[in-house]
Amino acid sequence: MKEGGNVPFTLDGKAVEAGPGETVLSVAKRIGVHIPTLCHHDAVSPYGACRLCVVEVFWGKRSKIVTSCIYTPYENDIVKTGTDRVRHTRRIVLELLLARCPQVEALHELGREYGVETPRFRADGPEREERCILCGLCIRVCGEVVGQHAIGYANRGPARVVTTPFADRSEECIGCGACVFVCPTGAIHYEDVDGARLMKEWKTELPLVRCGTCGEAFATERQVEKVRSLLNLPDEIAATCPRCRGTTHRLLMEKTLVSGGSIF
Amino acid sequence: MIETPAQLAELRASARKILLNGRPKALVGMATCGLATGALRVHEALLAASERRDSSLLVCETGCNGACFLEPLVDVVLPGQARITYANVTPEDAEELVASALEGTVYAKRALARSNAEFFLIEDFSSPYGNADLAPEVEKVPLYSQVPFFRDQMHLAMRNCGLIDPASLDEYIAKGGYAAASKALTEMAPEEIIAAIKRSGLRGRGGGGFPTGRKWETCRKAHGEPRYVICNADEGDPGAYMDRAIIEGDPHSIIEGMIIGSYAIGARQGFVYVRQEYPLAVKRIRKALAQAEECGLLGRNIFGSGHDFTIRVNRGAGAFVCGESTALMASLEGRVGEPRAKYIHTVESGLWGKPSCLNNVETWNNVPVIIARGADWFAGIGTEGSKGTKVFSLVGKVNRVGLIEVPMGVSLRKVVEEIGGGIPDGRQFKAIQTGGPSGGCIPAQYLDTPVDFESLTALGSMMGSGGMIVMDDRTCMVDVARYFLGFLKEESCGKCVPCREGTARMLDILTDICEGRGRTGDIELLHDLAEGITDGSLCALGTSAPNPVLTTLKYFESEYRAHVEEHRCPAKVCRALIRYRIDPEKCTGCSLCAAGCPKKVIAGERKKTYTIDQSGCIKCGLCLDACRFDAVVVE
Repeated sequence: MKEGGNVPFTLDGKAVEAGPGETVLSVAKRIGVHIPTLCHHDAVSPYGACRLCVVEVFWGKRSKIVTSCIYTPYENDIVKTGTDRVRHTRRIVLELLLARCPQVEALHELGREYGVETPRFRADGPEREERCILCGLCIRVCGEVVGQHAIGYANRGPARVVTTPFADRSEECIGCGACVFVCPTGAIHYEDVDGARLMKEWKTELPLVRCGTCGEAFATERQVEKVRSLLNLPDEIAATCPRCRGTTHRLLMEKTLVSGGSIF
Repeated sequence: MIETPAQLAELRASARKILLNGRPKALVGMATCGLATGALRVHEALLAASERRDSSLLVCETGCNGACFLEPLVDVVLPGQARITYANVTPEDAEELVASALEGTVYAKRALARSNAEFFLIEDFSSPYGNADLAPEVEKVPLYSQVPFFRDQMHLAMRNCGLIDPASLDEYIAKGGYAAASKALTEMAPEEIIAAIKRSGLRGRGGGGFPTGRKWETCRKAHGEPRYVICNADEGDPGAYMDRAIIEGDPHSIIEGMIIGSYAIGARQGFVYVRQEYPLAVKRIRKALAQAEECGLLGRNIFGSGHDFTIRVNRGAGAFVCGESTALMASLEGRVGEPRAKYIHTVESGLWGKPSCLNNVETWNNVPVIIARGADWFAGIGTEGSKGTKVFSLVGKVNRVGLIEVPMGVSLRKVVEEIGGGIPDGRQFKAIQTGGPSGGCIPAQYLDTPVDFESLTALGSMMGSGGMIVMDDRTCMVDVARYFLGFLKEESCGKCVPCREGTARMLDILTDICEGRGRTGDIELLHDLAEGITDGSLCALGTSAPNPVLTTLKYFESEYRAHVEEHRCPAKVCRALIRYRIDPEKCTGCSLCAAGCPKKVIAGERKKTYTIDQSGCIKCGLCLDACRFDAVVVE
């Protein structure tokens, strides 16, 4: 049964249990079995696209390759994370990604674990500058965590790209940089110059706010506004950089306590 | 309104009288295949000719009976005698055709086949067109059962295609339409219907071949409300058009199947997801839905059974991958048509996370037949593991191109040689590609394989949705694999790495081989990559994408080796590996080749020999076609 209680199964020879709805990847992490991932992040919903986290499930003589980040085990599944078939699939995935993005060191590192030095395919050569592996973490973080849905996939097949609507300046991007932070291959960049933040790949420029206390530009106007309205923060706190925020908060507390009101 | 089984029976009786009323009638095959060959003009010409005579001849539209190679097709019912099928009819034939129909004779020039009785499959009886003795010229026209293209066919799914006006609900009902739905909803419990479908052995006709009854049962038992039924009409395999022909020729059969299914499963809402590129099919299904709604066959309390059901049409925007069930459902929800892993099946959590039962057009269309004729009758057709019939689109290097419906288990040889009439121009059969782009190529030594789910899979190919492409000895198998991989690369949604990147890299390797840049080790690399793509891909598009390469490698490895090791294309197709030369012994100096050469690289003097300047030759082959003395040779 998949619903209700815990699901007992075997992971690399160990008897383990998955909680209701828990994936193999999550169980593996919990018990210290390493499974490599690229498109997975605990902060966002699983997507199952990079296929690096594949494992093999055995039922008697039959077996199947499944994606551990989305596969919730059935009772008595025998899951193995290091079979030849698993290693072969991961190797092909890495080889394909390296052919696409020969400049990404993180991929080379993973590749070496699986014996991939140079991919056997003719991609566009090592000078190719593509760094995006289309894992979609940026899209999910922007939609699910930030709640802006500023970016998404466009086109299909090999023409697929992550972009803003019509590949134009985004109306939705608040310049928070969550996409930059979550990207596993360093494919997304921003730069703060002259009081504005440029989200390079999204062709979007956003004015920065200077801290009311120290004067340093610390976030974009839209980012501050979003946080302020979400948390219903007083303007003084919202307009203060994280480093100065403690002081501002304390002063505000004292003022409020004296006047007997509420800070929020 | 049709609110009770009795009302349906009444309407059936009166509609049947009109159908068999003894007026001469001409039916023009006006499915897309007919329209493409000029059926519209034939229809207009027949109407005009009939009007000029102020005649009693009815000129109607119908769907395609499958003989697409003979379009435009016109069927003429000669009252009291027979139904005559005319082939390759032109507008110029209209006058004589109308005259012969009114006189009760045959227009011999275009006559193809005749049938003496109208067959009602649903009720299993034949109604003769007349009792009179046949006129001698009518008798001269061969019976359907004597025409090789039709002889071995069995039309269950195509039971009404080419016989009724698809825009007429009355004609569908006259042929026994909605009788199965009426029986199912008023006389059978949902569990009984599911048991019947299970016992019939019906398996999904869209490609997967999953047992339909089991799918319905799981969906019925799944937790969650509401439930949905979906008709997958997003047919996308290159060269395959079975579902289009069924919707265009008999749209009500799908609605009836879905009504029965919805009742069995407990769904109140259905969807037909049909390709935008099938405008006529969209029009036909919409019209049929409106008719069914208008008379209460859809809506509330159908046949007084208490069952409510409606169907909506959604148009697909042209993505091949949207034929995959989870991608189709994502698209129906208004999201990007991208598959998800099916660790939890769509019958449990499908459209909007609710239990959803998706079946293909032909599957739904088979349901009324099973209910009407009984599961055991249906299970008596076909093989142990594959029951009933299957519609195939037989295309490529074969004499009779069209749609065929045969009982499961007939041999590929029968399909190609007898029904298809063999290979044109006296060429040799080389392979038959079955199962669509991710199917496989089956070589001549397996021509006696029965066409069923298991046998085709055992050869590394598959049944798929029913595409069959015949290839002759002038087909290069590496080039074929390259063509299909090119298609799959374009149509991959791009979500998962093995499919998106893997098909592209496979295509690179195949292109290199075809263009003379093949390297030692490429064949092994293709095998290795294929294994990774099959194991690693998320949906069936990816897991089956290497099939065209794997089967051609399995059966035609020497052809790959010739390309890679000797830089030679044995079929003389790959341009980079061939050259055109003029044989001085045979050349008469007629200059036709030089006149036709688009690059003007053929030079010579009239009445002496000509030569091709290889440096400028683009290998278009026009000289080969132009030469009347076989002096142009390909090396």
